[in-house]
Amino acid sequence: MAHKLIWKWKPTFMLPLTFNSQSKHVIRFHHHPFSSLKIHHPINYTTTAAAAANTSNNGDCVKAKEFLELTDEELVRQCEMDFLKSSGAGGQHRNKRESAVRLKHLPTGIIAQASEDRSQHMNRDSAVKRLRALIALKVRKTVDLDAYSPPRELLQILPPKSTVRGSEIGPQIGPKNQKFALGMQALLDLIFAVEGSISEAAKYIGLSTGALSRLILSDDSLRKEVNDLRASKGMKPLK
Amino acid sequence: MKLSLSSVYTPYSFPIILKSYAFSNLCKPFCSSALSSSPPISLKPQVPLFLRPPIYSTKFCDFKKWHDWAKGIASSIGSTFVNSDNGPDSSILCRELKWLMEDAVEDHSLFSKMGFENYDERVKMRVGIEELYDLWKERIEKRRPFQYVVGCEHWRDLVLSVQEGVLIPRPETELIVDFVCDVVSKNEDLKRGVWADLGTGSGALAIGIGGASGIGGRVIATDINPVSVAVAAYNVQRYCLQDKIEVREGSWFEPLKDIEGKLAGLVSNPPYIPSKEISGLQAEVGRHEPRVALDGGIDGMDYLFHLCDGAALFLKPGGYFAFETNGEQQCRALVDYMKNKRSESLCNFEIVADFAGIQRFVIGFHH
Ligand SMILES: C[S@@+](CC[C@H](N)C(=O)[O-])C[C@H]1O[C@@H](n2cnc3c(N)ncnc32)[C@H](O)[C@@H]1O
Repeated sequence: MAHKLIWKWKPTFMLPLTFNSQSKHVIRFHHHPFSSLKIHHPINYTTTAAAAANTSNNGDCVKAKEFLELTDEELVRQCEMDFLKSSGAGGQHRNKRESAVRLKHLPTGIIAQASEDRSQHMNRDSAVKRLRALIALKVRKTVDLDAYSPPRELLQILPPKSTVRGSEIGPQIGPKNQKFALGMQALLDLIFAVEGSISEAAKYIGLSTGALSRLILSDDSLRKEVNDLRASKGMKPLK
Repeated sequence: MKLSLSSVYTPYSFPIILKSYAFSNLCKPFCSSALSSSPPISLKPQVPLFLRPPIYSTKFCDFKKWHDWAKGIASSIGSTFVNSDNGPDSSILCRELKWLMEDAVEDHSLFSKMGFENYDERVKMRVGIEELYDLWKERIEKRRPFQYVVGCEHWRDLVLSVQEGVLIPRPETELIVDFVCDVVSKNEDLKRGVWADLGTGSGALAIGIGGASGIGGRVIATDINPVSVAVAAYNVQRYCLQDKIEVREGSWFEPLKDIEGKLAGLVSNPPYIPSKEISGLQAEVGRHEPRVALDGGIDGMDYLFHLCDGAALFLKPGGYFAFETNGEQQCRALVDYMKNKRSESLCNFEIVADFAGIQRFVIGFHH
């Protein structure tokens, strides 16, 4: 018996995102035999979904960065949440270690899943973290190179030797920090704008080509994204 | 009372003795030395596997042999249990096996080496290799719940000790903690007040709301089952919440007489399965979990009605309640009952679905 609850909030705006459905990203940790149920978050979703829609709907352009600026709660409310579990009465009737959580971010179609943890609550947290990273990696926004100045969140992940990075930016933020995703997103926007050329991108952020390569190689997902782009342009991968 | 206490006394040593007859108030069970004269019974909560000292050492090849044997059994189950009573299938059993190894073995870097032959290395474990064979046999042959095998359940961000005699907390129930966090974040009065979790079992809800919700006041957890009382007290102690959460033994509201009409909030996941459905439950539940934690009477609603009556009396004006139920039918029956019989004291009823879309919870307020 599949309970199917459909999300009430329909996006009322166009998404000028360079995101195509083929690049939908599914992280799977195990295969599992049960059908997935489409479920939304049961708490107060109507009001907050409307609020989330408002923050995103400023005129005609949704900036990907805004998704990452939402709180976890707000982000989850833009998602359809599937709990992969068997049919039946649940609750006291069941002992089934099935606590996988799958989030589908409706505005972008990005899917993040977590099942490696032993509690559902923790899997939900992991799925949201993964969703953030995927949004940063997959959702591109166009950059005007003529008027380019690196945003603060990008400056924060640059090494101190960058010539455009003032000391007021504070210590360098590494991949373990939550804020790294925002900087990574801005860096990818730039690298996409210069069509994958590391030496070109390095000029805009006051680094040597070598220093930028090292930064890209410091994070596996960032490296993969850059190398995928370079491969699509017939360039050699960074190693 | 159908308590099977005999199965609870297992040989793991634990350095405390709870004299649960002597204390209706188990606030500080570990420091109590001045005892009353009533005959003490000792309930020693088991230490979950992952907290035991790694005093056993096994050759890596023997450990690997056990692992391959256990994995082979898990795989051979296929969908046998699914077909017989909607029990676990191979993929779930294999995942449990991985978690069993995590809890039993000290050095987790070992798991990446499972593919290699490594004869010299020794594995430090929290349980002997023979017992590891027994544990997995019990899991498969007796369908002993995985959580009893390892002595704990991961619930929200907590790891709660559980053992035979105590209900294993369910993922659905995690949501009640979210409801409470939500309501106290908007209401200072509820935040400062005294809360109660009736039929606390492992202490899951009491610890969940006591730890996460920012409740400034106290939480009182009750259970009629002395094993639950001992285990809940142990879990409270593990999370250093003994100053905030008090565990009391007794039936529903009986241990709360001193705070009648003063409760800010009340949560409960009482037994709600209709009696005739108990025999058809999946083996892990029906054969191993205590009936006193599951059986809710003919239509499963005996205790839910009792809790509504109690809520009307024990909550203070503006107080909040949240109960878990068996599903839509019970939710509706409960709301009807309160509308017809308790509307002079209770109001703002709401039915909330769980993550699987099943209408699971009834929440509301005292006028
Ligand atoms: C379904 S379990 C819930 C346990 C725990 N609150 C949880 O959610 O994991 C129901 C609990 O109610 C307790 N119980 C049963 N009859 C009771 C009574 N008359 N008074 C107090 N507790 C009772 C059982 O011992 C059991 O721990």
